[in-house]
Amino acid sequence: MMTSLGKGIATGYLVFVALGLIIAFGVLWSTKRGRREGGQGVDIERAERAEPWWGVFVVVLLAILLGMTIWRAPWFTEGDDPRDVQVKVTGIQFGFLVQPTTVKAGQNVQFNVTSKDVNHAMALFNPQGQMIMNVQAVPEYTISRSYRFTEPGTYTIRCFEFCGYQHHKMIYPAFQVTA
Amino acid sequence: MMTTAVPPVAPGALPYDDAEMPLSLVQTRTRRFVLRVIWSSTAFLVVAGILGLLLRLRQGEVISMGDNFWYAVMTAHGLGAFIAWAGFFLMGITFWVLMKVGMPLRSFVLPELMYWSMMLGVVGIVLTTLLSGFGGSWVFLYPLPFFSAGQWSDTVTGIFSTSVLLAGVSILAYCAAVLQTCLSPALKAEKDTLGQRIGLTFGFGLLFPSRFKTKRGKIAYPVLPFAVNAVDMFLATLPFALLLVFNIVQSVNNGFSINVLLAGNLLWAFGHPVVYLLLFPAAATYYYLIPRYAGRELVAGKAVAVAWLIALTMNLFVWAHHLYMNYPDGENVQQTLGTIMQPTTYALVLPSALSLYSIAATIYRSNFQWNVASKFLVAGIVSWLVAGLQGIINATAAFQDTLHNTLWIVGHFHNMAFLNMGLLIFGAMYAFLPELMGRPWWNERLGSWHLWGTIVGAYGWVTCQMIQGLEGAPRRWAVLPSEYLTLTHISLGFLALLVAAQLVFAYNLWTTLRRSPFDDPKAVSVLGGTQR
Repeated sequence: MMTSLGKGIATGYLVFVALGLIIAFGVLWSTKRGRREGGQGVDIERAERAEPWWGVFVVVLLAILLGMTIWRAPWFTEGDDPRDVQVKVTGIQFGFLVQPTTVKAGQNVQFNVTSKDVNHAMALFNPQGQMIMNVQAVPEYTISRSYRFTEPGTYTIRCFEFCGYQHHKMIYPAFQVTA
Repeated sequence: MMTTAVPPVAPGALPYDDAEMPLSLVQTRTRRFVLRVIWSSTAFLVVAGILGLLLRLRQGEVISMGDNFWYAVMTAHGLGAFIAWAGFFLMGITFWVLMKVGMPLRSFVLPELMYWSMMLGVVGIVLTTLLSGFGGSWVFLYPLPFFSAGQWSDTVTGIFSTSVLLAGVSILAYCAAVLQTCLSPALKAEKDTLGQRIGLTFGFGLLFPSRFKTKRGKIAYPVLPFAVNAVDMFLATLPFALLLVFNIVQSVNNGFSINVLLAGNLLWAFGHPVVYLLLFPAAATYYYLIPRYAGRELVAGKAVAVAWLIALTMNLFVWAHHLYMNYPDGENVQQTLGTIMQPTTYALVLPSALSLYSIAATIYRSNFQWNVASKFLVAGIVSWLVAGLQGIINATAAFQDTLHNTLWIVGHFHNMAFLNMGLLIFGAMYAFLPELMGRPWWNERLGSWHLWGTIVGAYGWVTCQMIQGLEGAPRRWAVLPSEYLTLTHISLGFLALLVAAQLVFAYNLWTTLRRSPFDDPKAVSVLGGTQR
C-alpha cells in the first residue's frame, strides 16, 4: 500500500511522463510533414540557437526541485523535539534484536540502528502495510532516526539491505505501539 | 525481404561522411573483432535472460529453487546482463562507430585484451556463482562476501573478486583503446599537437572553433561521449579495483579487513559511473545513427559540448547518492557528501536533456526513414526520457524513505538498461549487422514483432515492479511478502511476451545467418562492398 509520499512521487512522475510522451509523439508525427517537405522545412540554425535555452529551462526546473527537497533529506529532518524513548535495533544474520519492543502512541521514539555483522536495513511498516521509515544498519556504526507514532497497533520491521541467503526471512513482526 | 542497413548518405551531406573510410584491411579486422564481441555478448544475453526469468518465476512461486541458489542466480544475472551483455556489446560497437566517423583502431592489442579479459572474467563469475554458490549480489556489499553463513568459502570470494577484477581490466583496456583511437592523427587537427587533439576530442573545437580546428570541419559528435566515457570509466574503475584487491587479500588472510564505509564509497565510486559505460556509448551511437535516418546533421551547437564537459567532471562526483541512507551519527562527512551529490547528480541530467533535444530536433520534420532499426532506436530514445525522469526521482534524498532498496529501483534500472540501452543495442544490430555480415536481415515482419513484443512485454514487466516498489516491495528478496504476489503474476504474463519476442528475434537472426552469404549486395550499402 502506497504512502502519501509514494502517491505524490507516482503522480509527479506520471505527469512528466505524459508531457514527455506528448512532445515525443508530436516530434515523430512531424516526420509526416517532413516527408512532404523533403526534410527542408525547418530552420536548423534557429533550433541550434534555442538549445541553450532548453538547457537553462532544465536547470531551473532542477534547481526548484532541489530547493524543495534537499532540506527534507533524512539527515536534515530529525528536529530538536525531545525524544520520549530510545529503541535500540541491532541487525544480525538473520534477525533483529529490538529493545524495548513496545512504545506508546504519541511518543517521539528514537531508533538507534546498528549491525553485528554485515549491512542490514530497518524498514518499518505500519499496521496498514505502508513503509514509513528506512534506516541502514551499518556494522561498527549507529544511525539514529526518530518517529512520532500516532497510531496504535503492530508494526513490522523488514530487512531492506541484502544480507545473505536468508535475507527475505529477516523480519521482526511484532513491534507494538499501545494506546 | 528486409534491408535495414544504415542508409547511405551523399558525400558531404553530413560533417563526417561515410565516403572517407580507412584501409580495407583495418575495416576487415575491425569488422571481425566487432562481430566476435556481438556474438559473445549476445550469448551472454541468452544466459543472463534465462537467469532473470528464473528469478521472477521463483518470486511468483511458479518454480522452486534453493534460497542461496536464487541469490547466486541473482548475482550472475546482474553482472551478466549489465556488464557481459549490454556493457560488452557497446564496448565492441564503439570501435565500429569510431571507424565509421573516420577514426579507425590504431592497434588491436588493447581491444583483444578487452575481449579476452572479459571472457575469462565472465567464466569465473559463472563458475563461482552458479557452481560454487557465491550469492553476494553484484554489489557484494562489504563485508558480506566474508559472512556467507556457510554458503560459500573465502576462497570462492577470492576467485569471484578476481573474476570481477578481470572484467574491470577489460573496461580499463577498452578505455585506453578508445582514447588511443580518439586522440590519434585521424582527428586531422590543423595544428597537430597533443593539446589540440585533447581539446578537439573533448569538444573545445565546438566551443572555440578559431582555436581548435581540424582539416575536415567539425569533429564527429559521437567522439564526445565515447571520449568522456573512456576518461571517466578509467578513473572510476581504479577505486573499485582497489576494493577487489582488498577482497582478494582478505580471502587469503583473515586478519585483514577494511572500514565498511570506505568500502561502500569505493564500490559506488564505480557502481554508479558504470551505468554510463552503457549510456554514453549508447548516446554516441544515437548521435551516429539518427542523423543518417533523418538525412540531416545532428542539430547540436555549443550547448552539447558544454553538456559533455559537465558529464566529464560530474560523473566522478555522484557516487554518494547510493549512500544517502548511510549517515552514521557523528559522521558528518557522509552527510555532507550526500548533500553535495544530490545537485551533482542533477547536473548529470543536462547531457541527457540536451542530447534528447538534439535528437528530437534532428528528427523534427525530417524526411525520416522508418524501418525496424530506426523504430528500435526511437523507442530507445523515448525510454531514455522516461527512465531519466525516474533517475531524477531516485537522485532525490528526501524520497529515499519510500524508494530505497525497493523494486522501484529494479524497475528503473531495467527501464534504463533494457528499454533504453537494450533497444539501442537491438537497433544497432538491425542497422549494422547487414554491413558487418555482408547479408540482409531475413524478414522485416519478424523484426516488427520483435519490436512490439519487446516494448509491450518489457514495459508491462517493469511497470509492475515499479508499482510494487512504491507499495514497499523490497528488492533482492527471493520470496516476496504475499501482498505483492498478484502483481508478480501479472508481470510474468508480460515476461512471457518478452521472451516470445526474443525467440522471434533469435529465429530471424538464425535464419539470416543460414542464408547464402553476400546474396544481396544492396544490403551492405554503407561499406559499399561485400569483402569479408
